[in-house]
Amino acid sequence: MADLEIRDLTVEVQGEEILSGVTLDLDKGKTLALMGPNGSGKSTLAYAIAGHPAYTVTGGSIRFKGDDIAEWTPDERARAGVFLAMQYPVEVPGVSVTNFLRTAVNARRGEELPVRQFMTELKEQMAQLHVDQSFLQRSVNEGFSGGEKKRFEILQMAMLTPELAVLDETDSGLDVDALKTVAEGVDRLRGPDLGVLIITHYTRILRYIKPDEVHVMLDGRIVKSGGPELADELEEGGYEEIATVARA
Amino acid sequence: MTTPLTDLSEDFLAARSDAAGEPSWLRDRRAAALKRFLDQAWPDSRNDEYWRSTPFAKRFDVGLPIVAEAGNTATPAGLTTSLDVAAALARIVDGELVEVTVPAELAEQGVVVADLSAAAETHAELVRAHLGSLTTSDDEGTGGDEDRTITASDAGWTAGVFVHVPDDVELDAPIGIQVHATSPGTHLPRVLVVTGRHSRAVVYLEHTGGGIADGEDADRKTLVDEVVEVVVGESSAVDVVSLQEWSGHVAHLSLQKAAVHRGGTYRHLAVNIGGTTVRIRPEVDLVGEGASCFPLGVYFADEGQWFDMQPYIRHIAPRATSDVLYKGALQGKSRTVFRGNVLVEKDAVGTDTNETNRSLILTDGARADSTPFLEIHCADITAGHGSATGQIDARQLFYLEARGIPREQALRLMVYGFFREVLEKLDLPGVQERTLAHIDREIEAADLSRVGVGRIADVAPGEVA
Repeated sequence: MADLEIRDLTVEVQGEEILSGVTLDLDKGKTLALMGPNGSGKSTLAYAIAGHPAYTVTGGSIRFKGDDIAEWTPDERARAGVFLAMQYPVEVPGVSVTNFLRTAVNARRGEELPVRQFMTELKEQMAQLHVDQSFLQRSVNEGFSGGEKKRFEILQMAMLTPELAVLDETDSGLDVDALKTVAEGVDRLRGPDLGVLIITHYTRILRYIKPDEVHVMLDGRIVKSGGPELADELEEGGYEEIATVARA
Repeated sequence: MTTPLTDLSEDFLAARSDAAGEPSWLRDRRAAALKRFLDQAWPDSRNDEYWRSTPFAKRFDVGLPIVAEAGNTATPAGLTTSLDVAAALARIVDGELVEVTVPAELAEQGVVVADLSAAAETHAELVRAHLGSLTTSDDEGTGGDEDRTITASDAGWTAGVFVHVPDDVELDAPIGIQVHATSPGTHLPRVLVVTGRHSRAVVYLEHTGGGIADGEDADRKTLVDEVVEVVVGESSAVDVVSLQEWSGHVAHLSLQKAAVHRGGTYRHLAVNIGGTTVRIRPEVDLVGEGASCFPLGVYFADEGQWFDMQPYIRHIAPRATSDVLYKGALQGKSRTVFRGNVLVEKDAVGTDTNETNRSLILTDGARADSTPFLEIHCADITAGHGSATGQIDARQLFYLEARGIPREQALRLMVYGFFREVLEKLDLPGVQERTLAHIDREIEAADLSRVGVGRIADVAPGEVA
């Protein structure tokens, strides 16, 4: 059994079916890319895995480390090791980065980390991701640039040491330098204890993070799967070709 | 002798003035105020614009006898006494000023904290010039035509405190004024603060006591009709923090009015936590050029509570600044009213004003009314105002939960964060800690499983699919 095992998953948003039977396996140590055009259901899968309340699982299962987590609350999933790097990180006014991260890290680890140890770890990770120390006193995502928000997502990922990381369009809205920093940050965190699901519209992030498998989603289903070479095909032919074949 | 507020009489006032040894000028003032009082009717919420949002007759019982003595004079636990600085302290218990403590180093600098009745004799010039100067109309139009709740205080105030900080004296430690209720009835506390040029002062006005809201104390009703006047001298910086920490059935009326002279800075924070009904009017007349004021408010209303907040800023002089920020949370069947007013007079060129109110409705059944008014009679100004009432933001909540933070803890972080914007504007000893501790207790007592979260349809525009 794979560490993340999604079977025949159907998901509704506001009564409308977005995912129509998705099946996907991801093991720790592996990196999967999920590609597809806008509106294909990629982000819905990401939110469904993380437990967003607007996304209702109407059929199938999401098993993580053997447990069906489809009914779990988002915080239970996160404490079990699921991490979602969001496409649109949310501003939380008045909650400082330090306080937020410390509360989250303590929740994930199930123990109060001594402040000194926490700060040492945090500053190390911040240096790696070129995140300025002045962030510590700022409110979560408030006034952050697009690139800062994405780097902050990866900083959280580094601190929370997840076993499954879903990166939802982490590459969107980033210039080449910012993308490189973020991608290298993710690459550094890869290892035998982490499975990564990269959700993207474009192939450029895959130049920095080489996936083991590539899956293409269309109309709420995975319509094509393959190795890294599938991404190169998409780079050349776009989604049109696949769509024509799949919908035929 | 039991006299309800509504039966204030010359005899009653004479007996009070005799007992306090008040000078004739003050007796005359009281008598004049009584005349006005007798000519007035109690506010009528159907007809009086300022009373429309809070039903006066229903929320304030003017039939309760006036309490002129002190009941239990034990010192309550309050903000000022919790600090480890040598602060001046004046304690009013019910109808009497029971204690005044002024540390020697303050007295040496000429700082006065005294019984207002006695100060009418010992500091006659200052008290005579300023007492009632902000509650009664004068030729310049400062002060105002006050309603009967204010003339009642002008005539019948029982326990008063006078504070004076002379020119060039800068105090870091706060001056604490406790208004503590132990006996049911009507309480008429009065405060006058006058600061000199280039001075600095911090005043903590603490409202505590009132019995226990439930059980055997349920009949112990207390009406507190309070007037606080603050005269901020030229280039003086004054902070006033008014904490409403009532524990029982207290209906509290409070006019807290300041006049800020040239180049002066006045910051005011109202913290509304306790009491059944609290109607607070933090008012400021910006009478000197370049004066500035920052009226701030934090409130947390729960089951049965009614908070009415009416900051009123008058820009009279040119190039003055005001920035009003009130934030509150509500839960249970509670009601808050924010009626903010900024009036820019015709000569107030270069005015810079802003007014903001935000309410967070935590559970169903609570209601927050908010109306920020702006009345402008001058062209050359900068003004902004805004108000918003909402529930916990579902997107923020999900973001925190998706990082492993349990819902209850996430809500707590968000509510703290909501209030932090206000509290960060006023870094005074003990104030943030005490206010956050109050908020903490309110959250602790709340049933967080009932907290309403913004509708899912509002959750993630553009994020679907």
